[in-house]
Amino acid sequence: MKVSLSWLKDFVDIDVTVEELADKLVGAGFEVEEIIKSGANMKNVVLGKIVKLEKHPDADKLQICQIDVGKDDLIQIVTGAQNVSEGDLVPTALHNSLLPNGQTIKRGKLRGVASDGMLCSGEELKLSEEDYKGASVYGIMLMNGEKYPLGTDLNDVFGNDDVILDIGVTANRSDCNSVLGIAREVATVLKKPLKMPEIGFKTDKNVKIGDIVDVEVKAPDLCPRYMAAAVTDIKIEKSAEIIQKRLKSVGLRPINNIVDITNYIRVEIGQPMHAFDKNYLEGEKIITRRAENGEKIVALDEKEYTLDNSMLVICDEKKPCAVGGIMGGLNSGINDNTKTIVFESAKFMRDNIRRTSRTLNLRSDSSYRYERGIDFDSQRLGLMRALTLIDKYGYGKIADGVIDRLAQDITTKIVETSVEEINSILGIDVPSDVILSILNGLQIESTLENGVLKCVCPAFRDDIENANDLAEEVIRLYGYDKIVGTLLVGGNQTLGGKNRKQQNADIVKEICVSQGMSETLTYSFTSPKCFDVLKLAENDERRNCIKLLKPLGEDLSIMRTTLAYSMISMLASNNLKSNKKVKLFELANVYIPKSLPFNELPNEHSMLAMGSYGDGEDFFTMKGNVEVLLRRFGIVAEYKRSDINYLHKGRSADIFVGKEYLGYLGEVHPEVANSFDVSDRMYIAEINIEVLNKLADYSYKFMPISSYPPIERDIAIVVDEDVLAGNLLACVKKGGGNLLVDTKIFDIYRNESVLGKNKKSVAINLVFRLADRTLTDDEVNAKVNRILTKLSSEFNAVQR
Amino acid sequence: MKEKIAKLIEQAKLAVEQSHTLAFINNVKVKFLGKNGELTQLLRGMKDVPQEERPMVGKYVNEARDLITELTEEKTRQLAQAEIDEKMMKESVDITLDGKNTERGSLHPCTLVANEIVDIFTSLGFTLGEGPEIELDKFCFQMLNIPPDHPARDMQDTFYITDDILLRTHTSSVQARTMINTKPPIRIICPGKVYRPDDDATHSPMFQQIEGLVVDEKVTLCDLKGLLETFAQRLFDSSTKVRFRPSFFPFTEPSVEVDLSCSVCHGKGCRICKGTGWIEILGAGVVNPKVLDNCGIDSKKYKGLAFGLGVERVAMIKYGIPDMRILFENDVRFLKDFK
Repeated sequence: MKVSLSWLKDFVDIDVTVEELADKLVGAGFEVEEIIKSGANMKNVVLGKIVKLEKHPDADKLQICQIDVGKDDLIQIVTGAQNVSEGDLVPTALHNSLLPNGQTIKRGKLRGVASDGMLCSGEELKLSEEDYKGASVYGIMLMNGEKYPLGTDLNDVFGNDDVILDIGVTANRSDCNSVLGIAREVATVLKKPLKMPEIGFKTDKNVKIGDIVDVEVKAPDLCPRYMAAAVTDIKIEKSAEIIQKRLKSVGLRPINNIVDITNYIRVEIGQPMHAFDKNYLEGEKIITRRAENGEKIVALDEKEYTLDNSMLVICDEKKPCAVGGIMGGLNSGINDNTKTIVFESAKFMRDNIRRTSRTLNLRSDSSYRYERGIDFDSQRLGLMRALTLIDKYGYGKIADGVIDRLAQDITTKIVETSVEEINSILGIDVPSDVILSILNGLQIESTLENGVLKCVCPAFRDDIENANDLAEEVIRLYGYDKIVGTLLVGGNQTLGGKNRKQQNADIVKEICVSQGMSETLTYSFTSPKCFDVLKLAENDERRNCIKLLKPLGEDLSIMRTTLAYSMISMLASNNLKSNKKVKLFELANVYIPKSLPFNELPNEHSMLAMGSYGDGEDFFTMKGNVEVLLRRFGIVAEYKRSDINYLHKGRSADIFVGKEYLGYLGEVHPEVANSFDVSDRMYIAEINIEVLNKLADYSYKFMPISSYPPIERDIAIVVDEDVLAGNLLACVKKGGGNLLVDTKIFDIYRNESVLGKNKKSVAINLVFRLADRTLTDDEVNAKVNRILTKLSSEFNAVQR
Repeated sequence: MKEKIAKLIEQAKLAVEQSHTLAFINNVKVKFLGKNGELTQLLRGMKDVPQEERPMVGKYVNEARDLITELTEEKTRQLAQAEIDEKMMKESVDITLDGKNTERGSLHPCTLVANEIVDIFTSLGFTLGEGPEIELDKFCFQMLNIPPDHPARDMQDTFYITDDILLRTHTSSVQARTMINTKPPIRIICPGKVYRPDDDATHSPMFQQIEGLVVDEKVTLCDLKGLLETFAQRLFDSSTKVRFRPSFFPFTEPSVEVDLSCSVCHGKGCRICKGTGWIEILGAGVVNPKVLDNCGIDSKKYKGLAFGLGVERVAMIKYGIPDMRILFENDVRFLKDFK
């Protein structure tokens, strides 16, 4: 909300600097976003008079002027302009001056002749013909006829003496979206009386409002109050200068006297108004009703809008003339031939205006104001004030009487509480007389009787509903610096901390970090193209994803169902930056719809993605990462060949615990890597943390350590190339039974001439031990033979 | 005889002194103390010593043996020590070379900040609250006193998925969910991702917030300030001051913006605090009794305190990161700085 200091001064005496005022407003809850001093962009430019003009001795197109700027000495300025003559009044930029176009002027020489400044054109002063007559002429802007003394700063000549405050008004303070509302707060913080706007006008007793128009409210739920007045014998012209100046100061463009008044009232009183050209209204009545579905109107912006029956239209007896509170119809607007107008000053419901405005994608200053909420008092005040201005400036004759269609009784809101309750919210003891004085100062009529604090709220403070609201009013004016920190002195003891699942998330991250990975942070939304890049099958369930209605762009339009795409993207972007060896992880949610079309909250699964590329990274380093993680949670997994499309066929595995699918790991498919312009081999893994939490084994049990020595044996067997090590070891364990306490593969040897085609030799270490006695060689030999027999029958294994 | 012994001792002393290797000292030992060594030879000459002198000479011989034994053993120890020292010196390594297997990754700066904040509050008796990121309008807005078409909805643009399902715009939705399901006293701290359609140097369409909520019988605005002072002083330093400025949030009343004294310039004014000496970091307030009632908590009996902050913003201030987008670039050279 922009307000000018001079406008505020109509309603309250301000005797502090604008900076002090801003500080006080901030303290009371009104963020002053900017203080704009008009004229700050023009300095040291004064009114001068050319007293002597002569040709430059060395330049035909230059003239040397002697200028009187009200000082004892004349100053000399060389100008190239030809439209000046002796005796002209001219804008004179002195040495060290600043022009509104950003130019700074310094003393200098032109073709050897000293020039102590510059004469300015209208363009250089950023003035249009509307701003100053003669501003658009080519050459120097002539100011002949100005009555100001020579040497007067042009900011004073142009009336650039105002200060604009740009104030952030919070959504609860709809009443402060007006100069009057801000003035009320200023009066409170400065402890000055508020002067209400001047009201008073004479009417034309010969013309009754009823002779001109009637109003029927057919949708009182959307339009609880509709007031109207009429003005005849209008002469459309430019507004009075002060009105134009004030509208401009808050960023509005003056149009004509009638439209300007409606805007002026909206800014000053906070009441949006509309003026209908009576000539355009068909029939005798203005009707406010719900639109019919499909009803059309062309608004002032010359666009056609199709309405529906949730929307309010203002009609005459034949056609819609305005979308209520948002924009007038194209043809009902005020034009140069308008003779009689009907002023509308109405209360429309803010939520309805907001919905209609968004549905139609049609916004205006009026709809913005209505969306913030209008109280029941400002319709009359706004209308009276508008008529006062009409009368004051003689813009027309005011018909006798006003129409007031009020759908409900206006009730006064009373909140009852106690001083103790207010202080129990604040935690300090604000004396009751201070509380009363603050509230009454805000025009909240408050009394304290038998411990009951009774507060009668004015209409414009419909935000106040309970003791907390009153406590806020008290403390924002008493001062938040009076609040002294205490640490839950009256609170009950509680047990803090994280649950197991939350702790696990921390553990998972710490394991990844200790494995050398850095944590990434990527968006939860991604591109729908990611599924094709990952080569997911058409029926892959991860293609079932949640779409945003209005995404920031196609690339951020769906909620991700896998972290693989983000992880590969981040590896690729690091690769592109020539980062040589990169290990990353991310712990984040994926969003799996329970049903499509989407109509209930989805499952949000916490997933861990790990990724790496670079020297020393391979399938097994990634598998090592997975194993370290699972070991920490006591999980023993099986690895099965995976057929995930974005992974390398021969270097990828699905991770299972029994039938439970925990995730996968593998090398990124070369074609997928290629589509990210990466030629390095990349490795990724994705682990479902929900499943990990479910499978995690937190039981630790003491196992006595055998004091009897182990017996170790190594065997070497020849098997087909495609036999998996994991299957061999499973078979060995089965054959070894309880005696076999450990086994591992320690060598794999390939040599076609020795072993034969597609054969490999696998060397396996076996460790046997019993807890209660020393094993005999015979016992161990029997087990080894059993293992070899099993390997032979299951895998055709031949001992070497 | 006595002279012979003395001479032998002198010889032995000299021999020991001249020994520079373990082999040499071994020979010395054999030469003087061995089965056929000098001392044994000397003893063999005992038969020529008169009977009455034999005890005396025997004593000399024993003393000589003890002395020579001690000398040779001491020298052996010295030489063994020297030999092992020399061997180790040969094996000496350049101790300034890098260690092995030292690769360690890093936590994201936002995680570091969130962890720190969560730890502060869990130590104050807060549990970690959680809720879904894809949320019902009811929990994100309506129960928090933001009805449909209320102007307060303009404060937060929203990504909708359907008419009543959306990406949560704040972690305050966890407040509503927790209050419905939990009896007071409640103390929760809720970190999480939130979403708003903004994208520039200081806004990201996805960012992280931390929400705190206390619901108890006797809690006040002063407790809120105390909590936030404790938090600010632990997160930054013990001289950090907290300032309340009046503000508005639909779910708190009174509502405040919370400024912390600038941790960089300590209030003198600098680039980080834009010369004001204060950094706006939190929104907070006393929970609006309407919200308590909406969530089934008796507002006559209980009061609530709530606060929320943006993790990215705190990380940017704490680590001097100038542009929020850097946090999402995931360049490993940046990430590795946050071990």
